[in-house]
Amino acid sequence: MLQKRKKSTLLCALLAAVLLAGCGGGVSPEPEEQSADFFAMDTYMSLRIYGGDEGLARRCQTLVSELENELSVVKETSAVYQLNHTGSAALSDTGADLLSRTLALCAETGGALDISVYPIVRAWGFTDAAADDASRVPSPEAVQALLEHVDYRRVRLEGNDVSLPEGMEIDLGAVAKGYAGELLAADLRSAGVESALLALGGNIQAVGSRPDGTPWRIGVQSPDKDGLLGVLSVSDLAVVTSGGYERYFTDADGNVWWHIMDPATGYPARNGLISVTVIGESGLTCDALSTALFIMGPDRAVSYWRSHGSFDMLLATDDGRLLLTPGAASLFEPEENLSYRVEVIEP
Amino acid sequence: MIKTRTWVILFAAAAVLLGALSWYLLSRRTEGAVAQVIQDGVVIREIDLSRVSREYSFVVESPDGGSNTVLVQPGRICISEADCPDKICVHQGWLTDESLPIVCLPHRLIIAIKDPASGTDAVGR
Repeated sequence: MLQKRKKSTLLCALLAAVLLAGCGGGVSPEPEEQSADFFAMDTYMSLRIYGGDEGLARRCQTLVSELENELSVVKETSAVYQLNHTGSAALSDTGADLLSRTLALCAETGGALDISVYPIVRAWGFTDAAADDASRVPSPEAVQALLEHVDYRRVRLEGNDVSLPEGMEIDLGAVAKGYAGELLAADLRSAGVESALLALGGNIQAVGSRPDGTPWRIGVQSPDKDGLLGVLSVSDLAVVTSGGYERYFTDADGNVWWHIMDPATGYPARNGLISVTVIGESGLTCDALSTALFIMGPDRAVSYWRSHGSFDMLLATDDGRLLLTPGAASLFEPEENLSYRVEVIEP
Repeated sequence: MIKTRTWVILFAAAAVLLGALSWYLLSRRTEGAVAQVIQDGVVIREIDLSRVSREYSFVVESPDGGSNTVLVQPGRICISEADCPDKICVHQGWLTDESLPIVCLPHRLIIAIKDPASGTDAVGR
């Protein structure tokens, strides 16, 4: 009898233990999450930070708005606005760092990236929310006249002082979000944060891995708008996509024109690519290259990667192929029933 | 003797029932895609699209006087009308998954879907 009672007590204790374990979940405490969702740089930003001091998310938001206040082409008080309207301006240390590194990237990409293409983007009506689609395409003469002022090599940066020749205007919009992501990631790392995901309007910057130690899972938008091309598993990397599918218009003849301008022609870049995703350590480089490689087209993009390396990429071509560098292929999991033919680029 | 055995059986049955109930409740919570209506960074409404049985709409007024009409149908959501200058939000059409959130920049309004089943943390675009 005593034996039996002991047995049943033991059984009860075991059952209770099983039940309690089921309810309690994991043993390791999750680091506290803080988040910030806000509009900045003409897009929507969403930051999720795990661990670190209270108020980090707020500080990140402030850093972004400070950068925006310096770089905006529409805010009359910004340094870039002053530069575009008077021909010279003094930048902050951060602004000068961004501009000098961006000019280096313009040179490295042989001018495929050119920050002085801004007047052409404006002539195509991409800076005017209420532009009339039917009459937006500029005349070839107008494009030609504006092209004469497009040449990043004539931007002069000495220390923090920058000046432009007559008729030139610049816009750092193609790199500002990537740079912001890089800046925030560095700030968070120095504050001891080991896990954060910064989504700056579709520019993704990952700090560390998920709080549970597994890589972040980043979906890559399909250029056909519906769903994803697949998912990238990344830690401590930036993922930036450029495509023609987000900002475009259809003219009176039914032609589709998107916002990524080819500085060589003054027309939207139509060189065989519909979407480019760049994966790398520097948010700025990823942002700059996603635009530049899109403009280059698949063949030049592949040879650029072969000669420069240090980043990975996914190229979606207009003939239905998805080209991946071996590094990207190792991180990428294509969607089921993907309509693109996946090809790994040979190094 | 019999008494003890009855207790054990009863206890085991209760444990199984409790386990099943908690599993049901926990799994039910993360069943389908949830649409969030976010105004200037604040979630003002959450809609579990898998539980919408009938079409309905509502109007979101922005602080500067603008308005967007949100239309909800089973499994999908869109902005059907807006008085912003560009109407990009209306042109974006229906949203059914996490891919591309509907954004009305002039009114600082976002509709995004969070789908616990999709398994991604963010979407690059």
